[in-house]
Amino acid sequence: MSLRLFILGLAASFGLAWLFVVIVPFVKMRNLEPITLSKETDGAVGIFYPKRSGRIVNGAKVYAENGCYLCHTQVVRPTYAGNDMFRADWAGLAKDPERGDTRRETNAYDFEGETFAQIGSSRMGPDLSNLARRLEAAAAAKGGGDPATLLYAHLYDPRRSPEARKATCPSYRFLFTRHEIKGQPSSQALPFGGDATTELLPDSDAKALVSYLLAMKKDQPVPAALNFAPAEAKAAAR
Amino acid sequence: MSSTSSTAELSDVTLRSGIDRSLRHPVMFFLTSAAAWLAVSILLAIVASVKVHWPQFMDDCEYASYGRVFAAHTNTLIYGWGFQAGFGVLIWLMARMSRQECRAAGTILTAGHVWNLVVSLGTLGLLDGRGTGMPWMEFPAFVWPGLLLCYLTIVVWSFIQFRVRKGERTHVAQWYLLAAMIWFPWIFITANGLLFCASGHPLMAAAINAWFKSALMFLYFIPIALGTAYYLAPKLSGRPIPSTSLARLGFWSLAVVAPWAGMQKLAGSPLSGVFLPYLGAAATALLAIPLVTAAANILRTIFSSEEKLPKSPALHFTLAGLMGLLLLAVAAIALNLPGSSLKLTQFSISGYGFEILALYGCFSFMMFGAVYFIVPRITCSEWVSSRFINMHFFFSVYGIVAIAFGALFGGFIQGSAQEAWLQPWESVTDVVRPYAAVSTFAWCVILFSNIFFFIHLAMMWMGLGRRDSNPILLDSPADMSAPIPQPNP
Repeated sequence: MSLRLFILGLAASFGLAWLFVVIVPFVKMRNLEPITLSKETDGAVGIFYPKRSGRIVNGAKVYAENGCYLCHTQVVRPTYAGNDMFRADWAGLAKDPERGDTRRETNAYDFEGETFAQIGSSRMGPDLSNLARRLEAAAAAKGGGDPATLLYAHLYDPRRSPEARKATCPSYRFLFTRHEIKGQPSSQALPFGGDATTELLPDSDAKALVSYLLAMKKDQPVPAALNFAPAEAKAAAR
Repeated sequence: MSSTSSTAELSDVTLRSGIDRSLRHPVMFFLTSAAAWLAVSILLAIVASVKVHWPQFMDDCEYASYGRVFAAHTNTLIYGWGFQAGFGVLIWLMARMSRQECRAAGTILTAGHVWNLVVSLGTLGLLDGRGTGMPWMEFPAFVWPGLLLCYLTIVVWSFIQFRVRKGERTHVAQWYLLAAMIWFPWIFITANGLLFCASGHPLMAAAINAWFKSALMFLYFIPIALGTAYYLAPKLSGRPIPSTSLARLGFWSLAVVAPWAGMQKLAGSPLSGVFLPYLGAAATALLAIPLVTAAANILRTIFSSEEKLPKSPALHFTLAGLMGLLLLAVAAIALNLPGSSLKLTQFSISGYGFEILALYGCFSFMMFGAVYFIVPRITCSEWVSSRFINMHFFFSVYGIVAIAFGALFGGFIQGSAQEAWLQPWESVTDVVRPYAAVSTFAWCVILFSNIFFFIHLAMMWMGLGRRDSNPILLDSPADMSAPIPQPNP
């Protein structure tokens, strides 16, 4: 076999797969069309194109730089691919006080604003798709409070609370700095670790990361075209 | 008649030693710096692994944060050790099989230095918290063009040598090496170009990253490992490769199947083509065909020899690498069955076990075998201690067996705990912990084994090798005095 024929063979065998699993899907998914809502199925008109609030770009960068994706995933798989939907607080909240069962699968619009979907490597820690919903529920259970404070405390010392003493999450103490208290203590200061004259404050990176994580509420209602819940659940939601 | 053949033999020996001399410095440079990066990578692996079961370990140090250290471990293993060991072996094999001296040793050596510099900067950037967060592409964005340029500068000469080779017939080892040389830039430019220079959908970016990992494993590292084994097996056994059609089947089935594999990491995620991950899972399972075909062909070459083969280090490592290859083929099927095992292994430590099995259990063992074969030829001296080689071999085998079984099996346990949705999430963390401890222990064993390799290689590099015409064998010293059947040089 001549070199030319050999290279042609390689180009054909590799090029075919390259085209069909990389290039074509890349181009097809490049500009995701907004979904048009219809009166009969969605009860509204217009388009569905969710926006996420928070410092998504900066926070995603801190998330990537510190390797959070090695232990946390950001995808709730449909039931044919895993049991993620059944967990009470992963895909949404099973018992939301206002909306009832808000659980749903992750959709392609959930990664709006990011350049790389952090699907994740291995689940040593829980999925984060609806972390903010869990934190809000936890803050409410503690009699109201700021979910951000809970998150800052977790980042500073993941094993601080007794129920999390076996957690394997690394601590991100280097994202915090000890500041001298001038006048009033800061509202963002950690509830521990401070003394009469100093307090622990999150750095810019920690604030960006927390802002990004508090935008993890991937359970908002979706149009019928994206709603794969069983018919009776859909009817109940309606 | 006999004088013609002895003249031909003499010119043959002159040619071979000329090739070895021309490549001496680049090959030794790549092999020694690869070994140094292997040491770095193993140390980082130990730190990362300890942190999984003992998170307080070095908890205050920003640069030793798990997320950064683990990324640095995989990236130094790939770009520091894997690529450079691959370069050293590839340029030597291509020159020998094309029967051409290397005329660009200086250029290759310079590119090799730049490669090391770029990998060092990338690693420091990663540890300093400038990683990109894309597995196996975590080095800061400035690194990949540098790596690509160095790669082309190093490898293009082997391609030219192949073009002007003496003799029309090609060896199957050349197919694999040549194909790896062509596939890699295509894969690397596609993945880095689309992820760093084009803006696509974030999910598709993750899918391309998963494809890149698989393609790098099965279209670069595994072909180089197979090419090396296909070269060494006939040399060590003195027998030809038994079946050309089997070799052809193994090669072309790899070429056809492997590019489709990889996206199974995204099973169940909302990609536009929902079938893409399942296509990837099917292709990965099908990879068992090219892997088993090649392994069977190479094993038949080795065992077709009627007399008892001398127990050379290259033979031992190649055989162990082939066992790793067969295990990899079994794992490729076992981990990727949609509907049963894929949902368990998708987000578990099985994936890491699979990667380490490919990179260390198969590729690195073949590279070690090649190093034990090549270095005496280019330094014109023999390995010093069969005990050192034995220590390297056995502890490496123990270590990789522990990691592979620990992570592959542990991943199934972890996945089952994840799927048990009525149990609290903490139970998953609990079941992973013992396997992380196994992994720490195994990496320590691998480090121990490689200390012997590093010392031995450094001795050869410094010219402290044995000046002896008898190659080293791994039998007991009593056997050393027995007449040694000379393998083909």
